[in-house]
Amino acid sequence: MKSDLRDYMDRPKRYDNIDGTNEMFMGMMLLAFSLAGYLEAGLPENSSRWMHGLVVFGVLIPVLGFGYWSRRVIKAHFTWPRTGYAAYPRRGGKSWWVGIAAVVLIGAITAAGFACLAAFARRHKVMSIPQMAILASYIGVYALWVFFMGKKDPWKWLVVVFMAFGLLAIAFTVPTDSIGPSNPAVLFAGLVWLGSGVATLCTYLRHTRLSNPETE
Amino acid sequence: MNNQLQAIAGLNRVIHEPGRLMIVALLAVVKECDFLYLLHETEMNKGNLSSHLTRLEEAGYVEVEKTYRGKVPQTLLRLTRAGQTAFEAYRKKLKTAF
Repeated sequence: MKSDLRDYMDRPKRYDNIDGTNEMFMGMMLLAFSLAGYLEAGLPENSSRWMHGLVVFGVLIPVLGFGYWSRRVIKAHFTWPRTGYAAYPRRGGKSWWVGIAAVVLIGAITAAGFACLAAFARRHKVMSIPQMAILASYIGVYALWVFFMGKKDPWKWLVVVFMAFGLLAIAFTVPTDSIGPSNPAVLFAGLVWLGSGVATLCTYLRHTRLSNPETE
Repeated sequence: MNNQLQAIAGLNRVIHEPGRLMIVALLAVVKECDFLYLLHETEMNKGNLSSHLTRLEEAGYVEVEKTYRGKVPQTLLRLTRAGQTAFEAYRKKLKTAF
């Protein structure tokens, strides 16, 4: 009964992403990083640090602003009239510790996997350790997300597998030039997050209807 | 009467009713929510939910605010401090009982 109650109390946390908006926001953020990376790589070699900063923030701020605004619009026009409004969940002291412990545990598992991949990559001279770490972190973060927030959508584990294979394919096929494999990887991870969010939103819209508020 | 039975007998009856327990458990982890959200999460009908909320409001555990979101009427609900304390006490007793 206690675990049932605990699970029930986790519902508002999951409800925050019932419409996929958090995933879409994450996707937009990664796409913005990718776009900024490509634009920065296209700058002349002797351009100042200010120019680099201007490009990065000139892309990031509008995209993140748009992401935030679109999230609010979707919530206000689709989510709240259909399944109701809930303000951001309160954070309990205990749940923080459980979260941190889970992150440490999953981080350790990811690091072990990364160590194996890094050893393989070193042997075959495919990519550097930091690049491997970045790729592993993309998969780890999305897997964590699915574990905590996607309990009602088991299909998202297939997205984790798809993302893992996609990133590995990028790592082994894209040559390590001045841009490096990290930018296509960010672009791919961003598209996967965005796609997953859009799919969640479509599923949500298909399974819910506008409610009649007059009878409350 | 043993300790477990005593703990069960001492549970807060207002919160212990399953419908109201669902409502309070949800309200305990959000800052506020509206009637429609509770309706969706608890899967109760409007009449049931409304009567449980009235009972919780009478006990001083829930605060109800009638407002508008644009032109649409909205009923906002929050757990009061007394409600939060009562729910925490209820959970402690539940842990003792099981």
